[in-house]
Amino acid sequence: MLLTSTNEIKDNGMERILNFFRKKSLWMLHYCTGCGAVELPPTMTSRWDMERFGMGPMATPRQADLLLITGYLSVKSLKRVIYTYEQMQEPKWVIAFGSCPINGGIYYDSYSVINRLALYMPVDLSIEGCMPRPEAIIDGFTKLMKAIEKGEAVGYKKYRENYEWYKANQRNVLERTSAVLKEEA
Amino acid sequence: MEQREIILKIKENFSKSEVKVFDEKQFSVFADKDDIVRILSFMQMIGFQQLAIISAVDWIDEKKFELVYNLFSYTHIQQVLVKTKIERDNPKIQSVMNLWEVAQMYERDVHEFFGIEFSGNDDMRPLILHNWKDKPPMRKDFDSLKYSNEIYGTFKKSEEV
Amino acid sequence: MSEILTFMGMEDQYKKYELFFGPNHPGMHGNFSYIITVEGHTIKKIDPDAGLLHRGFEKLVEQRLWMQNISLIPRICVPEPDINEAIYSIAVEKLMGVEVPERAQYIRTIILEMARIGAFLFGFGGIGGATGLYTASYWTFADRDYLLDLFEWLTGARIYHMFILPGGVRRDIPNGWLEKLSETVDYLQKRLYEYDRLIYNNPLIVKRLENLGPVTQEDAMKYGITGPNIRATGIKYDTRKAVPYAAYDKIDFEVPVQTAGDGLARAVQKREEFQVSLDIIKKAIQQMPEGSVRAKMPNPLKFRVPKGDVYVKLETAHGEHAYYIVSNGSDKPYRMAVRGGSFTAGLVYAQKALVGMRIEDVALWMATMDICPPDFDR
Repeated sequence: MLLTSTNEIKDNGMERILNFFRKKSLWMLHYCTGCGAVELPPTMTSRWDMERFGMGPMATPRQADLLLITGYLSVKSLKRVIYTYEQMQEPKWVIAFGSCPINGGIYYDSYSVINRLALYMPVDLSIEGCMPRPEAIIDGFTKLMKAIEKGEAVGYKKYRENYEWYKANQRNVLERTSAVLKEEA
Repeated sequence: MEQREIILKIKENFSKSEVKVFDEKQFSVFADKDDIVRILSFMQMIGFQQLAIISAVDWIDEKKFELVYNLFSYTHIQQVLVKTKIERDNPKIQSVMNLWEVAQMYERDVHEFFGIEFSGNDDMRPLILHNWKDKPPMRKDFDSLKYSNEIYGTFKKSEEV
Repeated sequence: MSEILTFMGMEDQYKKYELFFGPNHPGMHGNFSYIITVEGHTIKKIDPDAGLLHRGFEKLVEQRLWMQNISLIPRICVPEPDINEAIYSIAVEKLMGVEVPERAQYIRTIILEMARIGAFLFGFGGIGGATGLYTASYWTFADRDYLLDLFEWLTGARIYHMFILPGGVRRDIPNGWLEKLSETVDYLQKRLYEYDRLIYNNPLIVKRLENLGPVTQEDAMKYGITGPNIRATGIKYDTRKAVPYAAYDKIDFEVPVQTAGDGLARAVQKREEFQVSLDIIKKAIQQMPEGSVRAKMPNPLKFRVPKGDVYVKLETAHGEHAYYIVSNGSDKPYRMAVRGGSFTAGLVYAQKALVGMRIEDVALWMATMDICPPDFDR
């Protein structure tokens, strides 16, 4: 079980002041993990213009604040995403796009796609829909900003405190040594 | 060449093969397992330049794998499905990577998803799947839903994460 | 002194590095990775690492009813999803022997061409992104949105439309939609000349694209490179002409070809085909017949397809996308194999073509070849 849940951690004091400034300049990592990424270019470019919220794409994980999981994650991608997430510097936030990272979505019975992203890494915000429209994405971003300001978006702290729990879940999927389904004799 | 002429030529050279016409642009040839390299190189010689895809079908009731080599000719505008059946346990067949280089990747793909061995093709590193320990996933007796529930878990609303 | 420098230089020259190009790389198109062995700036060996977008579609379709699959398969190819529904529907119709009404054929043609234009616009933006000309991507993505708005009006969704069904299309065209489409086509026509000035007559872009990974005719045929890329080498073959589907046999259009086969030829070829697609839409609007849009089909829940197998391929912006569908007479497909349009180009031909190139050309080569990872990862 989780040691601490999101409700028990909250930013206070000095963090609150920093958060006020942090929410105004979020750099999202330019990494397209799934099909939801096809709605990101319209969000970034002239029509919806993400930059008016102080957000922009960033090429390297070490300088990014925001990791977007754009849709389903195959196990092979999950490994890369975890590497990427651990490379990012704190404070960092994760937004999951679409229904696939919540419960598997349309791929609930696929052998290659994970069902719940929240088991492997902390998710600060989920945007539902398949795929989320640019309006929904922008709405999600503003919600995240509000959560940051209130000190509620503390997924990275949760990851730090429950590190062993997350690692165990990740190892269960990524570093198997035996078959999952038993052969019937 | 017209489709009729091509079929006649195939019949001439490979009397054992069965031909089934689908429509005027597509037909299939069913060949013996040992003939497959010969028939494919013959097809390449008469102008089927492109190997579009190699795929396999798992006929579990017959205990057979069917391999489908999909060829296309830019000169005759014809699509040919060259098919052959091999045994389901210990499936093995000659590789055709000497005829088309793209066959290497398709055979690697089929090997990964069906577990069919291709003799002559050595590079069989896993391409798509990560750390796969179970039986090849595209086989009919592999239960994808059960696998997914077992390893990735089912959704429980009460559980807080 | 100079001797020492040359000596050090030699040491430097022969050092080999392994570079992970992608998946988390700004030049990468989608979630895909090349493991590149480089010597200095020159690529010596390339090893594709696919599967990051693998969802197991070939297995999933076997677990769903024939009609349910319509909502699943558009996700195989993200930039041009309509093509999947069309292939699937045509395959089912061929197996069942269903005649599709003429109006539905024309609507399908319009939808496929709109999707194609959308994919081309994405491709133009990709070339802009890979060369640092971000204006191009800003313009193309904004223009693509006009098409997406029309799609939304027609089908209710921006990306995955699920509009083409076995037997026809889901609904008839709403009032005023065709007029709006003509307006958009005229607008895109005007914009195309702007793109000429921005991209194709831009000396920097031309210089970068010239002699970039030239493809010969023999290689193109042997390696299964299809679509606009094979026409850029001079082979005048178009699936829409040679094996017509939808209403392409009733619409008159020219197939443009280039001869050089290099990056510039491929880019110009796409620009020419953009023009062709606009012309096809214009003609389809003019010739649009009246009538029903769906043939009578059995109950979707008890839908059975007769025994048989069929291979259907359609022309897309990145090559020939094709399905091989096998039915054993039950209510679910027995097997469906997907041939992604860029499978061979991205996984096999890349191993040959990219050797000797410089690192910075990889992203541009991928943009001109239209490598689309979701369709070969499936």
